[in-house]
Amino acid sequence: MKKILLSLFLGLGLNYAHAQDFDFGLFSEAESSFDIRKFDAQANAAVLNEYGTAKIDLDASGNTRLYFTHHLRIKILNQEGFDEGNITIPLRQSSDYDSNEEISEIVAATFNPDLGVYVRNNLDPKKIYEERANNNYKLVKFTFPNLKPGSVIEYSYKISSPRLFNFHTWEFQSNLPKRTSSFVARIPAIYNYNVTLRGPYKLSKQDAKLDRECLSISGVKLDCSRMTYTMDSVPAFREEEFMTAATNFKSAIYFELSDYQTIRGVKMNLTKTWRDIDYELKGNKDVGGQMKRADVFKEAVMPLLANASDPLQKAKIIYAFISKNIRWNNYRGFVSDVGVKKAFETHTGNTADINYALISALTAAGLDAEAVILSTRSNGTVNKLFPVLTGFDYVVAKLNIADKTYLLDATDPLLPFGLLPIHCINDQGRVISLKKPSEWIDLKATQRETVRYVLDGDINDQGKLMATLSIYSNGYAAHKRRKQIKSYNSLDEYVEKYDERMTKMKVLKYDITNLDTLDLTLSEVYHVEMDIFQGLDHSQLYLNPFILDRFEKNPFNLDNRTYPVDLGAQRDTRILCNIRFPGTYTLVDKPKDLSIALPEKGGRFLTQTAFENGALTFSQMLTHDKSIYDPQEYASLKEFYSRIIQLQKTDIVLKKTP
Amino acid sequence: MKIRILTLLLSVTALHAAAQYAVDQIPAALKTRANAVIRDMETTVDMRAPNDVGTRVRKVLTVLNKNGREHARLVLMYSKNSSIKYVRGQILNEFGIPKAKFNLSDFEDESAVDGGTLFSDSRLKHFLPNEDVYPYTVIYEYEERERQNLVLPQWLPNPGFDISVEKSQFTFLARAEDTFRINALNFAGKPVEELNDKQKKLTWSAAGLPAVRAEAYGPHPESFRPSVRIAADKFYYHGFTGKYSNWEELGGWLYENFLKSRRKLSPYTEGLVADMVKDLPDEKAKARKLYQYMQQKMRYISVQIGVGGFQPIPAAEVDQMAYGDCKGLVNYMQALLDVAGIESYYCVVSAGNYKKSLIPNFPGVEQGNHVILCLPLKGDTTWLECTSQKAPFGFLGDFTDDRTVLACTPGGGKLLRTPKLTAAQNTQLRTANFKVAENGTMTGSVETAFAGSQYDAHLTIANMQDKERLEKLKEQYDVDNIELNDIRFSTKEGTGPVFVENFNCTLPLYATGSTDNIYLPVNPFNRQNSIPDLRTRTMPLYLNRGYTDVDSIVYHIPAAWQMKVKPADQTIETKFGTYKVTIVQSGSQLIFKRTMQMNEGNFLASDYESFSQFISKIAELDRSRAIFTKGQSGSGK
Repeated sequence: MKKILLSLFLGLGLNYAHAQDFDFGLFSEAESSFDIRKFDAQANAAVLNEYGTAKIDLDASGNTRLYFTHHLRIKILNQEGFDEGNITIPLRQSSDYDSNEEISEIVAATFNPDLGVYVRNNLDPKKIYEERANNNYKLVKFTFPNLKPGSVIEYSYKISSPRLFNFHTWEFQSNLPKRTSSFVARIPAIYNYNVTLRGPYKLSKQDAKLDRECLSISGVKLDCSRMTYTMDSVPAFREEEFMTAATNFKSAIYFELSDYQTIRGVKMNLTKTWRDIDYELKGNKDVGGQMKRADVFKEAVMPLLANASDPLQKAKIIYAFISKNIRWNNYRGFVSDVGVKKAFETHTGNTADINYALISALTAAGLDAEAVILSTRSNGTVNKLFPVLTGFDYVVAKLNIADKTYLLDATDPLLPFGLLPIHCINDQGRVISLKKPSEWIDLKATQRETVRYVLDGDINDQGKLMATLSIYSNGYAAHKRRKQIKSYNSLDEYVEKYDERMTKMKVLKYDITNLDTLDLTLSEVYHVEMDIFQGLDHSQLYLNPFILDRFEKNPFNLDNRTYPVDLGAQRDTRILCNIRFPGTYTLVDKPKDLSIALPEKGGRFLTQTAFENGALTFSQMLTHDKSIYDPQEYASLKEFYSRIIQLQKTDIVLKKTP
Repeated sequence: MKIRILTLLLSVTALHAAAQYAVDQIPAALKTRANAVIRDMETTVDMRAPNDVGTRVRKVLTVLNKNGREHARLVLMYSKNSSIKYVRGQILNEFGIPKAKFNLSDFEDESAVDGGTLFSDSRLKHFLPNEDVYPYTVIYEYEERERQNLVLPQWLPNPGFDISVEKSQFTFLARAEDTFRINALNFAGKPVEELNDKQKKLTWSAAGLPAVRAEAYGPHPESFRPSVRIAADKFYYHGFTGKYSNWEELGGWLYENFLKSRRKLSPYTEGLVADMVKDLPDEKAKARKLYQYMQQKMRYISVQIGVGGFQPIPAAEVDQMAYGDCKGLVNYMQALLDVAGIESYYCVVSAGNYKKSLIPNFPGVEQGNHVILCLPLKGDTTWLECTSQKAPFGFLGDFTDDRTVLACTPGGGKLLRTPKLTAAQNTQLRTANFKVAENGTMTGSVETAFAGSQYDAHLTIANMQDKERLEKLKEQYDVDNIELNDIRFSTKEGTGPVFVENFNCTLPLYATGSTDNIYLPVNPFNRQNSIPDLRTRTMPLYLNRGYTDVDSIVYHIPAAWQMKVKPADQTIETKFGTYKVTIVQSGSQLIFKRTMQMNEGNFLASDYESFSQFISKIAELDRSRAIFTKGQSGSGK
């Protein structure tokens, strides 16, 4: 009873002027006149109103908790929108009971228009299901009864959480368009959060007020700041191909605790400056502590270096040793899981275990190695406005030899020295050194995705091409192909599958080299027989020279694009064919020699065809000299590929001269 | 030095002690094509009572390489009615020497809810050894207990592809008074029987089963994999008891216990329904009306709790919630038909694209995974799929066509067969008309009619909103830079329901070329992709369902263009199907017609080569181009 009174007082005291929760089941004029189809022609459902609050408060036993309430009203336009009526609310769980999230006060109802009034169907509380999905999450699930096209569904609930650090992220943007979305954060004055708004859209309303004596801890009355954020007319978020994490683009407001005061007035800094973070990380036994375990590796590593004098050579040996000896357990993170010692003994660990092991081992050999913490592509880019650690989910090693630096990731034994996996190529990372202050570093692909095809052969009397097809790959292309080849049990099996896929081609003999020598070009040489012509007794021969790497479809066939196209790394594909013909032929027609380019040096496409002395030479080059293209460049990408496709339809025409 | 000798000695002794699972003991024939080998597996199913069935397993499995990794995963299901008594195990290295041990606490625990289900009370625990040095061996020992015997564990000695079996044994124990039935498929071995006055004991065993490779267009694994199933005549299930020895009794039991009492609607709904159909002329018209009513009112939501896995939610509840799973929706539809006085049968089916019938002489409720509805309608048998809001009345697609199903009727269970969709019915008929401009840009209209198993090929696209629909259609008609407009969808009745798609389109610079020649690919939309040409085919060739595609396209060619090379007319007839392409020039028109009719059927493994050649030839012909020259006469030959 007391509690209710208190909150009532607060409500009356100061806040009536702010955005308030809308009444359950009471529809406003603005909602009914909102033309969803006009706002978003694609929508099957839309949010008419959304309101959420988050506040820090005390629970019955006096512990500080975060209370989050959420109230949502959705209009279902058609049967395809019925899926929006299936609700799943995830709750974090852990073995420690006190850190579980709890849900309460679930209210849900379907409203169906019938002769000018809305008929209400309540959700039966017995039909709310709790599913223990795994050890980390419990899912609360329910579905709305009696859905029809035109139904309005509405629900609200409250979550109590012990996790204060990130307060509550509020996503203004979701897969549904929204008429309006408001979020109220009430934060006691002893807590300080860094607040960031991400995404392309602006807030429609923003407001901060003081709630006097909102909270009483051990008899001390505290004031709270009450912040309201509203965004109106929020478009739906729809994912596109070749794009990095959705969280990079979605409109949402993020909170991160920077400091708080204890009741005694002592200020506790959580994330204030990079200096604080550096100090914290270096002291952390699972971060800095694991970077200085040279002792663990000295004995194993030193004998390997007996014949290596040059530091780079030493580093390469150690890199190969760690990547072959500790297998990645598929968990990402920059905090060590089991520690480098145990990871080394059991041959398995997370990203941090492996790369701190690499740093420690490099240090053991007297080399200068640091850590770079970063956020992987699927995790979004890190927030660089405030010095905060959330958002980082990966760590790699940075090796300094004289004035050169190398970024190394030992989690993938097929990555050559100095190449980061594509998922790490994401804006910037933070260098964490045991000796120096931390700093930002660019995470750019150091190599391109490069493939070179060489087809050299003779057409025999039956019209078959007997040739050598050589495929040379470097950089990310080599990494991809090595992964593919290694996914088979043997080279024979890989080649057999390759042979089966290429239906016009029969592999007679093959030779694959440098499969395990990651620093060198991966070379695949196939001796092949290809069906090119059905016999040679025609007056004219038609040959499409685009046998390899041919585009039948335009990879950029959309009408327009909202987000950047991010390929990860630059690309470079070259083809050279040299085909000799029996007898005498003359060239009648051929594809135009073409040289086209993307604007702003974004890429090039070149082809040349010639027929001399009974031999056909054909060359093609396609490059992407940028890894990220802006949405405005989409049209030129589309046009670029369109030109390529048009060209690739044309043949070389040869005429037999007796 | 001393230490080394000591460890050497130790390992030698250990080697001897555990050498029975050393990898070099595996016969070479079992390593061919295998990623893993079941070394020794013993399963004992002990039916102590209908409500107490224990299963004890000891499984020794060697993983030969990284691709066999997943074969080592152990997944154990549990729920309120079944439990895992214990699990223990160990990992052995290549030489059979123990490396590590584990138990149930090392398993991950998860709910067993799949994508299509809102909630289910079944859960699972799973474990995968964290090894990356191959080969290695894992030994599992565990016991599970079920408080039901309606569904008993079956024996599948060879559970998958790329795995071979050195030895596998299955023992079934029952009380002396128990009677049960046995069904062995693809397995000739007879069980060893031991009977005394207390117990019956049957033991099957298999040894030396080679690994089987998965191949494209192969038959369903059930058609060649050995299996033994057992069913008890008297069963207990979630508080229910019963007895059956044939489909008639099982269907009758299901009807009496799970269905009969669950079809009552509220008087209000009954009145509504009666009113809805009172003026309609016949039963079929009434059924159609009620089916459409059900489709627009209901949506599919699956909630599976306890006995709800086999028993539908009462019709009155479904009526109130306006949702249900297949059982609930079929039962609800029956309730509606009851009001109109129309007889209908609740039918259990094994659904899926692959046609799988219930085993005729071996009844078992677990053979089905879906429920559909059959209306006898005095000889005009009509089938209804009740989980789709869009399916036409009386139409079963490729999910439940052409297979034996169990109808649960008041007079007992009956095996019925769903209609077959023939190659002649499964059609995609496309007509298009294009005007080709001098610069090679084509504009025109396309109409495509889908029927039979192809009826719903573009149904989901039709139900999308404009922008998304356009994107999906571009994926289907994936021509560079294609512009689509004026998209329309409609349905009509042919011999069965037909779904029609219409649009206008522009294909910019489609016919392009060099200085001398212009190339026009004659088949822009329906291009067959080639399939792997296997050097060694081991599986028979299986074509699941026949179909017919016809594409007729008329091109209006600019007057100045002269055809230099016309792709040849071709007809290829094989036992797998017929492909025919003709290109006729008539004035300024170029008329392209492609007919591809594929048969269904079983063929020999040795037929695969000619099948893949047939498909590859089609793939090649589908990419044929007509070649034109511009202007000057006399350049062509």
